[in-house]
Amino acid sequence: MSFASELAHAVHNGDRRALAKAITLVESTRAEDREPARTLLSLLLPVAKPGIRLGVTGVPGAGKSTLIDALGMCAVTDGRRVAVLAVDPSSRDSGGSVLGDKTRMTKLAQEDAAFIRPSPTRGVLGGTASRTREVIALCEAAGHDVVFVETVGVGQSEERVASMVDLVLLVLLAGAGDDISSMKRGVLEAADLIAFNKADAERVASVQADAASLRASLGISRAGRMPDVLSVSALDGAGVAELWSALLSRQDEAAQSGELLLRRGSQRGAWFEAALDDALHAVFVEDSELSQAREAALREVESGALSAPEAAERLVASLLARR
Amino acid sequence: MPESKSTREVFAELARKELDGKEPDSLSFDTPEGIRIRPLYTSEDWVNVDGLEQSPGEYPFRRGPRATMYTSRPWTIRQYAGFSTAEESNAFYKRSLAAGQRGLSVAFDLATHRGYDSDNERVSGDVGTAGVAIDSVEDMKLLFDGIPLGSTSVSMTMNGAVLPILASYIVTAEEQGVAQKDLSGTIQNDILKEFMVRNTFIYPPAPSMRIVADIIEYATKNMPRYNSISISGYHMQEAGATLDLELGYTLADGLEYIRAALSRGLLIDQFASRLSFFFATGMNFFLEIAKLRAARELWAKLVKERFSPRDARSLELRTHCQTSGVSLTAQDPLNNVVRTTIEGLAAVLGGTQSLHTNAYDEALALPSEHSARVARNTQLILQHEAGITHTVDPFGGSYFMESLTEELSRRALSVIDEVEALGGMARAIEAGLPKRRIEEAATRRQARVDRGQDVIVGVNRFQAQSEDAPPLDVRVAGGRAVLEAQRARLENLKKIRNDQAVVRALSELRARAGAGSGNLLESAIEAVRARATVGEISATLAEVFGRYEGRVHTVTGVYGSYYQTDAEWSALRARVAAFGAAHGRNPRILIGKVGQDGHDRGAKVVASALADLGFDVDLGAMFQTPREVAREAMDNDVHLVGISTQAGAHVTLVPELIAELRALGASDVRVICGGIIPPADEPALYAAGVSLIFGPAAKIPEMAGKILDLLEAPSVSSARVKP
Repeated sequence: MSFASELAHAVHNGDRRALAKAITLVESTRAEDREPARTLLSLLLPVAKPGIRLGVTGVPGAGKSTLIDALGMCAVTDGRRVAVLAVDPSSRDSGGSVLGDKTRMTKLAQEDAAFIRPSPTRGVLGGTASRTREVIALCEAAGHDVVFVETVGVGQSEERVASMVDLVLLVLLAGAGDDISSMKRGVLEAADLIAFNKADAERVASVQADAASLRASLGISRAGRMPDVLSVSALDGAGVAELWSALLSRQDEAAQSGELLLRRGSQRGAWFEAALDDALHAVFVEDSELSQAREAALREVESGALSAPEAAERLVASLLARR
Repeated sequence: MPESKSTREVFAELARKELDGKEPDSLSFDTPEGIRIRPLYTSEDWVNVDGLEQSPGEYPFRRGPRATMYTSRPWTIRQYAGFSTAEESNAFYKRSLAAGQRGLSVAFDLATHRGYDSDNERVSGDVGTAGVAIDSVEDMKLLFDGIPLGSTSVSMTMNGAVLPILASYIVTAEEQGVAQKDLSGTIQNDILKEFMVRNTFIYPPAPSMRIVADIIEYATKNMPRYNSISISGYHMQEAGATLDLELGYTLADGLEYIRAALSRGLLIDQFASRLSFFFATGMNFFLEIAKLRAARELWAKLVKERFSPRDARSLELRTHCQTSGVSLTAQDPLNNVVRTTIEGLAAVLGGTQSLHTNAYDEALALPSEHSARVARNTQLILQHEAGITHTVDPFGGSYFMESLTEELSRRALSVIDEVEALGGMARAIEAGLPKRRIEEAATRRQARVDRGQDVIVGVNRFQAQSEDAPPLDVRVAGGRAVLEAQRARLENLKKIRNDQAVVRALSELRARAGAGSGNLLESAIEAVRARATVGEISATLAEVFGRYEGRVHTVTGVYGSYYQTDAEWSALRARVAAFGAAHGRNPRILIGKVGQDGHDRGAKVVASALADLGFDVDLGAMFQTPREVAREAMDNDVHLVGISTQAGAHVTLVPELIAELRALGASDVRVICGGIIPPADEPALYAAGVSLIFGPAAKIPEMAGKILDLLEAPSVSSARVKP
């Protein structure tokens, strides 16, 4: 058996270490890892049974991790197997990162039925190394039927996350009314559920006011299904069970109306588009001739000698010419 | 007639000559607080200084809380100590009292701090390592056996498990025949700084603040000679805070505690004089003296303005000081005697009420009998040989000292204003402000030391050329024997006590906790009388309040910014990048803490600096078991685990971690350790499979270089390791 098929078997059998290694493999930016990673996925995709894919977004400090910890425990109590993929935004100039989200999921981290894996957002080569979709598939193949994808809410990342999950939960900080009114419409509208977190006793009144005004403004703007708006306190657990069942019933509705099937189809479509970009990008990195041409073009663009669209056009032309 | 020149002008002229024309301003020095220290201070610097004509003992107390200060009664020599078992500590206390010490100060082990009995599986590495293990009132009775609690003042450093520990002390006294009203001493009971820096909390912030208020309330009504809280800046400075942050945040904590006590319907004059303070004294000699003078004045003014007490004693800030633990070095440990002397001198010139001087071997282990004696003698020499007790506030009226006091006050006040604007310290902590500020300061400090900008003799300059010093005989604490003795005593206690009485007392405690009313200390005393253990009382409260896990934040970019143009740093970054290209991902390290030790400054500074170099750093939660760390290392598929250890638990827990990794089939994960690790522990750690060990003075670039050597060795796994 090849390395990839051995690994695939182990992942499917629920071997944690194999799952961990498999994630490393599909996230790897090394050229020689691409082929086994592809084999691994093609072996595992047919056995991956998606349950719920749940995106969780919100500004830093809104309490996303703590809320996932609490929701994940609800899922584990229901007898489900949970995976949490924390896409950490803290990468910087150096390409390094501090991944600390797991420290806020201490209950879930102790559960055998839960697997938490934080991933840095950027690969070592500075490309679009995020392989979140692949990792979701691996977790599902390992039997995790609830997958949380946590990402920080900074505009674009919501759209990306929305294209790979069934439901988007937007976490807002209770009592931060000003932030909501200035928040981009798109962010609010991409959400299927909105949770006001840290709604402790002192803040209940202001949270209710926020929730009411949010409902009103959403009602005017949106013709379709309005997002549910709930308030929770992830820290003391108030409202968490209600939120979990709201998520479940939302998913049920989507399954029954056929909406879920459509969403899954467009998830695969978006995956294809991303994979195509990725593969194309890889050609320009891994082929030595094209990689040199790309570096040269980059320098010219940076110095202002060449416009960016022109440079891109030229590179694609040189790729086509090689056929 | 031409105006005569000012002293400053005369100085400038003379200085220019000595400096070959350079301006004297070029000699100015900026402290980490951002205070510019000039080469000369003159009467012109007094323009903005008020209160020069005050007497000590007079509002606002800049010159001292009492008029006659040490001339009538010297400061109390109060050495903080606690060793493994109650019997061992008791013998030490008796010897110390006989040798001239005036009060006791108890150091508890971390299992006790975090409210676990010694038989709890989470604390197997922590029992008796950093202090004395106390599981029940029976241990407490052994601790104070033959020591009359009616006439010996006892200070107890306890914050997390403050209810069962204070209750056990009270019941011990009671069974000695000493009434509560006759007890004198101090309980630290300062939970706010635990959430900021020290991390030995148990419950979330809100119920923790209720406990603080319950204790202040109970002590006010029943223990008039007892200090119900010791508001502590010490641990902030130890965690890396600059002196303005230490002073500002400590006083801001004090304001928050006053408000908590007032909310119980107490009057300010009923309790304010029983609030005490605790500061660190580090190596910044003049600034430390100024800090204590500024602290008294600021506190008096703040309390007067905000709470209008009638009793002048409510305005007095009385403080304990301890010399700085982080200033001690593992290299050339006898140098620490000198450091401690300078720091102790600053504390008494600043007018402290009591003092602990550290032992020279404390960068390596708990003090030995010999080092503890030298530490105590340091104070006896200051008190009896140096002639410094004959005059009150000898720095009063110094151009430099008064200016410095004024400048530090101003900065601390703006720190306080920032906190108060957020709604007080509890809110500020919730917003993460003080933690972030302190961590930034800590990271800057580390970078300055690593770069040699802050000189530490024997560490980053003037290193000893040869190992001519004899190896120290350091104390070995904790271990299997202590653990087993504690477990046996617990088992015995549970056999002979009346279980029904215990259950009854604990259910009353649970009910009061749930109801949100009824004094919890009163109820804990009942439970202790019935022989409920520290762990049982803490667990009962945790059922209602929950256990707080703590939050982890790191600053990023701060460390690296000191190195932007450094060739060694750039070379390291290139090595990290090359590793990334070769392995398809950045080097990935899990930095974790095992056991109940909450000191996380080192772990965070290293995490932040390695990330600045290009590592992906998983920061583990605090208080982990070896099994939990091993699983996280496996799940995240890290290349290596770095364990930060400050309290001795590594001896048991690191070998356990390596065994757990093996059991999970993840023996490709390398394990390294850093922190306070006695040299005697190293062979056993290496034998257990540890790859690298770093002491507290390790420079981060060197550490990173060695880590990269380890990772670049051919045996390290890539993604393609067979499962």
